[in-house]
Amino acid sequence: MEVGQIFATILYGTLIGVIYGVATVGLNVIFGVLRIVNVGHGAFIMVGAYTTLVLYGSLGVPPPITIAASILLGAVLGLITYYLVIKHLVDAPELATLIATFAIGILLQETVKAIYGSDTRGFSWNLGFAEVLNVNIVYSRLAAALLGLLLLIALYALIYRTKLGLAMRAVVQDKEGAMVVGINVDRIYALSYTLGIMITVASGSVLAIYLQSGIHPYMGEIYTLKGFVIAVMGGLGSIIGAFVAGVLFGLFENASYLILSQIEGIQPLVLTRSIAFLLLLTILLLKPTGLFRR
Amino acid sequence: MTKQLLVVENLEAGYGEMQVLWGISLSVAERGISAVLGPNGAGKTTLLRAVAGIIRPWSGRITFSGEDVTLSPPHVKVGKGLVLVPEGRHLFPELSVEENLLLGAYTKLGRYNLEESLDLVYSVFPRLKERREQRAGTLSGGEQQMLAIGRALMARPTLLMLDEPSQGLAPKIAIEILDILQRLRGEWGLSILLVEQNIVKSLEIADYAYVIEQGRVVLEGEPEELSKKGDLIKAYLGI
Repeated sequence: MEVGQIFATILYGTLIGVIYGVATVGLNVIFGVLRIVNVGHGAFIMVGAYTTLVLYGSLGVPPPITIAASILLGAVLGLITYYLVIKHLVDAPELATLIATFAIGILLQETVKAIYGSDTRGFSWNLGFAEVLNVNIVYSRLAAALLGLLLLIALYALIYRTKLGLAMRAVVQDKEGAMVVGINVDRIYALSYTLGIMITVASGSVLAIYLQSGIHPYMGEIYTLKGFVIAVMGGLGSIIGAFVAGVLFGLFENASYLILSQIEGIQPLVLTRSIAFLLLLTILLLKPTGLFRR
Repeated sequence: MTKQLLVVENLEAGYGEMQVLWGISLSVAERGISAVLGPNGAGKTTLLRAVAGIIRPWSGRITFSGEDVTLSPPHVKVGKGLVLVPEGRHLFPELSVEENLLLGAYTKLGRYNLEESLDLVYSVFPRLKERREQRAGTLSGGEQQMLAIGRALMARPTLLMLDEPSQGLAPKIAIEILDILQRLRGEWGLSILLVEQNIVKSLEIADYAYVIEQGRVVLEGEPEELSKKGDLIKAYLGI
């Protein structure tokens, strides 16, 4: 191992980690407020990736602007799926919401497939790069991580600095308490769910800007799984937890890739994925409430 | 006859398939204190939750200030001044005392009077002012109950419903809290619907009382009358 390899691992582990954080908080917001696990999470990320692919690839809209389009699309999809499906299942047994969100995910995947086909696609948005310690620092990846960070900061400000955010936190901490102070809990559910979907679709755009490849209708599934690992690590329902856990996960993933690639005769990429789930099992066994919960 | 602020008629409610309230009728006079007594499981908590709108009444009628609010959602009722201090307090444990109070003023009416209400609540409960930066979850039981009442007052209620405010408190603090309720009726012109285990003290501050058992009113009257029927109350309440 050389210094450059280690530097690259830390740099790209952190950058993708920030994006993992953004791609997870939506799951956290929805679970925190509504106590619903969105199994279709990854499909919303995929929709965001396609939004950037189509708007930039076909229409030439600058990728950072496509994030705004994803946020809007997320609002529309969030409101439609909330009022059509989720609203009726908030108090239903968990299995009902698991199946319903799973079905929403499949519906999104198949709709995108019907429109754009199942080919794996990509695009090129080149901002150049700098070379440090023999490592190429790709500016578009840096930009993607920065945009992701901005989204996280905006979400944080909304939840910790606004009245709506205070009402959301009140519902998270005590639903009946929120009712007796006059908070319209149904409305907070609708807004929180929609907000969660908005940030998730937006994270798909950020991810697409980072990867610029590997975009296909089923690309979201792996992010649903990674999202669960990160959300559990950070403590379901915690935004800062999701962010820190996302960065840790990115570093962990890249470091395991680096170490595994030193061993001959194995496929490091495939094994790296299974290591994520080993991590999930370990956390669930040792600290099921998340690493950062008191 | 004095004007009735809250009138509940033939209220039926429950959870899932299980009916808990079997046609309860009661009322609270303007600036009056009505007490609801009864053994555990009689339906006292269900009654308050149904009146507050946290659970949906199955049938019957709830009239507040002359307006039918039977099926109004809870946030609408709070906005009209019908406010519940729930059993178990339901505070926001990770928020500070002051943030809990500010959330109490969430409705339009509450927001409008925010500064004044905060001063008033701190003057009634000076202990809360001392601890206003502290997280609600770290308060003692008595302080949490004060905060629950204080938070409800921030909404500027005309009718305050309290579900066993002295539950789990040392007798001395329990009495202190019931005394404060009586003071609030006098100073704020509040009307109060009180569910309480402390029968003697409740009958002392109430001007009308109901004994409920198995979801029905089995006895009602002014406290002096009821006290005369002491044996009957004992029989119903199992004490």
